[in-house]
Amino acid sequence: MSQRKGTPGPTAVGRPRQKAASPRPDAVPAGVRAAAERAGSVAADWAPTVGRLLLGLVLLWFGYHELVRPGEWTGYVPVVNASSSLAIIMVLAHGWVLLVLGVALVAGIVPRVAAALASVLLLEIVISLAVSGISDTTLRDLGVLGLAIVLTGCERQRLVLRG
Amino acid sequence: MIGFRGLTVLLIAGLAGIGLAVLGWSQRYTGLVANAVGGLGSASAPATPAASPRPATPAASPRSAATAPQAGPSAASSAPASPGPLLSSEPYAQYAYLEWPGTPSVAAQQAASGLTISVTRQPGGIAVRAGVVGQPTGPAHFYANGRSVYVIESSLGDDAANVDYNLGDDGLVVTDAHGRILQ
Repeated sequence: MSQRKGTPGPTAVGRPRQKAASPRPDAVPAGVRAAAERAGSVAADWAPTVGRLLLGLVLLWFGYHELVRPGEWTGYVPVVNASSSLAIIMVLAHGWVLLVLGVALVAGIVPRVAAALASVLLLEIVISLAVSGISDTTLRDLGVLGLAIVLTGCERQRLVLRG
Repeated sequence: MIGFRGLTVLLIAGLAGIGLAVLGWSQRYTGLVANAVGGLGSASAPATPAASPRPATPAASPRSAATAPQAGPSAASSAPASPGPLLSSEPYAQYAYLEWPGTPSVAAQQAASGLTISVTRQPGGIAVRAGVVGQPTGPAHFYANGRSVYVIESSLGDDAANVDYNLGDDGLVVTDAHGRILQ
């Protein structure tokens, strides 16, 4: 059944009109709009920096832990016997790279390059984990890999160490 | 481009990393829990060939009892049960998950990921057989007056889909009726 515009049909009687439920854009108070725009601007400015710092902290933590407790990480080393010295050395080397990358990210030293290297490292981790089956650990690291990839493309960074 | 200050910071970080690596190398076979209770991973097997039998009770902590899976053949062992300290008094008590008796909780099942544990009640105690999934299980270890078996796992985050990516922080503890760790 078709109805003419502006004439409420029998079913609409007694119901609030839809338009009244959602205010028009120009009905939003100017102060709220300004605040929303400002919040969006601050987020756009600082979100990459916060993401970079948090990723750096993650790398720093794992790097430090792999360096001081290599024996707890050898189970992750693919192919190599977990109880061998080679596995320990590989964990130490991995931890060292993570630590340096973490410092680079936190301090804002060539952050995009550091994020790109972190992406490669995380990709290697995700692949080595995925080989033995998809688990929640694998998916968690996949998310961290996503953050590293996003940071690789971010040009706007605050708190960057230059010179 | 990386500047002088950035290079300096990275250099310091690199040197600190080398220092930490030296420290890590010097304690490469120690683990948070494994050192205390005799873990199930490599951390509890310093310089021991995988195929050779090793004592079920780690030398690093003679007063605590833990069964470690034996990768190689060894004679079935039967340990005299001398009660040690209370499990609850040990620093790793917070990481202990009851595996037996009863149905293990979800957390205990996750803690036991990657491990095969079988417990048999026997006259005067229990026989515990533990191993790593995919590896030969060692002989059963008899614990006189054994009443409960706990899995020690300091980080459940490394256990998933019946795979434990880090056995260095795993262990097994048997206690008597009073909660004392059996040797």
